[in-house]
Amino acid sequence: MFKSYHKILLSTVLVAAATATTAFAGDKSVSNTYANGKKVIDGGATYPVVKGKTSSYHVNKTAAKGGFTLGRTPTANEIKAWDIDVMPDGTGLPAGKGTVEEGDEIYEAKCASCHFDFGTGGAGYPALQNGNAYEGQKSLKNQRLTADDDGPVRVFGTYWPEASTMWWYVKTGMPHPAPMTLTNDEVYALSAYILSINEMKVGDELVEDEFELNQDNFKDIVMPNKDGFVPNIDGPKALDDVRAFFADTKNYGNGTRCMKNCFDGKPVLARISGAGISDYEPKISMKKELPPKAEGSAAKPGQKAYEASCAVCHATDAMGAPAVGNKKAWEAVMKKGIDAVYVNAIGGINGMPAKGGTSLGDAEMKEIVDYMIEASK
Amino acid sequence: MTKISKASQAVEEQSSRRDFFRKTAAYSVSALAAASVMAPVKINAEDDPAIMHEKKWGTTFGFPVTHNLYGQPSPYEHHVTRRNTKLLSSGNYYASIAMCPIQDMQGIITPNGLFFSRSHGGTAEIDPNEHRLMIHGLVEKPLVLTMDELKKYPSVSRVHFIECPANGGPEWRGPQFPSIQFAKGMMSCAEWTGVYIKDILKDLGLKKEALWMLAEGADNSHMGRTVPIDKVLDDAMVVWGQNGEALRPEQGYPIRLLVPGWEGNLCVKWLNRLEFATEPFYAKEETAKYTALKPSGKAIQHFYANEVNSVVTSPCPENPWSDLKKGELVEIEGLAWSGMGTIEGVDISLDGGKNWVEASLKGLVLPKAWTRFSFIYKYEGKPLLVSSRARDDAGHIQPTVKQERAVMGVESIYHRNGIHTWEVTEKGEVNNVQVLS
Repeated sequence: MFKSYHKILLSTVLVAAATATTAFAGDKSVSNTYANGKKVIDGGATYPVVKGKTSSYHVNKTAAKGGFTLGRTPTANEIKAWDIDVMPDGTGLPAGKGTVEEGDEIYEAKCASCHFDFGTGGAGYPALQNGNAYEGQKSLKNQRLTADDDGPVRVFGTYWPEASTMWWYVKTGMPHPAPMTLTNDEVYALSAYILSINEMKVGDELVEDEFELNQDNFKDIVMPNKDGFVPNIDGPKALDDVRAFFADTKNYGNGTRCMKNCFDGKPVLARISGAGISDYEPKISMKKELPPKAEGSAAKPGQKAYEASCAVCHATDAMGAPAVGNKKAWEAVMKKGIDAVYVNAIGGINGMPAKGGTSLGDAEMKEIVDYMIEASK
Repeated sequence: MTKISKASQAVEEQSSRRDFFRKTAAYSVSALAAASVMAPVKINAEDDPAIMHEKKWGTTFGFPVTHNLYGQPSPYEHHVTRRNTKLLSSGNYYASIAMCPIQDMQGIITPNGLFFSRSHGGTAEIDPNEHRLMIHGLVEKPLVLTMDELKKYPSVSRVHFIECPANGGPEWRGPQFPSIQFAKGMMSCAEWTGVYIKDILKDLGLKKEALWMLAEGADNSHMGRTVPIDKVLDDAMVVWGQNGEALRPEQGYPIRLLVPGWEGNLCVKWLNRLEFATEPFYAKEETAKYTALKPSGKAIQHFYANEVNSVVTSPCPENPWSDLKKGELVEIEGLAWSGMGTIEGVDISLDGGKNWVEASLKGLVLPKAWTRFSFIYKYEGKPLLVSSRARDDAGHIQPTVKQERAVMGVESIYHRNGIHTWEVTEKGEVNNVQVLS
């Protein structure tokens, strides 16, 4: 009994000693995972498996030896279907073409309802331009230290280092309610339009109405802020550059462990101005109480589809669409008669594309319209 | 004791009817009712009614075990929810964020229903039978796995926080949120179960020239992010388990990438594709958004790890000290975390960072995980400025707001880890402030 108790005591002491050594050695003892002995890429620590454990976790080392035969080789066709990325060197750019004029039309039909005319953004949706990209790029040194200062302009033309990102984004992420529905030609046309509203050049040519963008001249786009980013991530030395960057805390800041009289005088305070940002849903409460009795209303026909596809624009009047719940706005709409309202919902009206840009059927659209009218009485 | 003897007395008095009631459920109910009628207890003004009155839940059945086959929190906890604000939405709530109520969190594990949630095209609801993980690019043997096949790999379970690098980001130019949920709630911590990607790669023949991995999601946004090979071969995982159950849809069901300690955005949800390449992919969120603009006009890209950070969770605006009396002992408690390693220690200041003392760590201290700290304080009823300052085992320590601004300026949006300060007023109310000294 005494003997085993003694053993436990002894091992506790050993563990304590080992911990102390680790803490003392600090960086050195934890950052040697890689055979090359260089610092860990993010500037942090890593935990090699020592005596069957990585930090506090036990490890089954046999699991890491491989030999598993799960799954199968994907077919070339399957890889092609899913390999949707587009890289800066043009890898992944499909054949296709489109002009600024064509892009303008598509933009009006499918994009302006959120990004507003000429990509100015609003109502929380991102701007796609902020005037001349080359001029705007110069604003990136701006710092808003007082309320009167202009901030840096961070839109596609002024900030992004690669145009390939935009093509990939538009193709796989837009229009927001229905991504992957644009043809390659439409994406080239929209890309040309976005270059034009950013007043950009491709080669020496200013992108104007007749300009046609295709898979060849796309690679000639040079972004104004191409050299605006650190660390370097391109080329065979990239990972070394990244590792060196994050190994030096001067690049992103670090504190000091001052314990006494760390500054002169009383602390200078910054406070929230006014109520700050306090518009929270739901409101904050720390009360322990029963929830209010539910009104017991199941979803009405059309409600779910409305919330999924239409509320984006119709929940408020910020988009210029009649807001659901706004009695007056819907009385005005209904003056046209219900049949006309159905026709407009299905065929599109003003900033709203056909069926609101969705692929819903006519019957579903009518059900949604009925729901919206009922909810606005 | 008194209660029991009174009850048995009542039973005694009714003993003649015992046989009649023996086999009926009404038996005990009648007996207890008789007890309170026959021997009423006198309640004095200083007695707590919560103690003196019989309770509905003590004198009737509760719910049978067949109720709520998936358990729910007490309805009295219904205010403990994620929350959102329109000001942090890209026009709608499909590309938005819901904050974790860290003021209500206990320990280091976030319940799955309260884990912060960020999506760029809504929460996808994926049929796992129709979901695949494809691994291709610079590997000798590309691979496609069903979810059942993936889960046959040897699993590992690890406790890690996930934090959006924009956590606290709206406060670069000054404090904005009178709330800890909004000031620091873009993070949560869970035990994740999945497989190390390096273990899968063992059998796929990763080519030497492969320096980068693209991870891509199957949701509306087709979110893509590039991860350097060093991290892939260190601790990056594909996970399907979260705190002992399947991932929640908001966390990427059926599978997500987990890049421990790094930007939450890199932990691609609804994951369906990993591609290896010699050059990085320049996905939308790694240049358009998740980059930190410095006063030089240059921005840090591929800013991977969430740096060492901490916040006091009690007191905070949601957990004020307004009920405390002078002379009472109280625990100052908080959370510390580092995406670059393990928390080594946390210092506390009560005078806005002029003087510091070391707090205790408590509970499990794990790499890239929430870590609790604690400091026992005798409340004096005087105004305080409560700050915490964490450090990790890779040599990083939280900068003051002044130190951080000197390097990063105020336009970075992301990766803010300057020391956080709460002002406790004379009344014990708590305000969000920043110390600029």
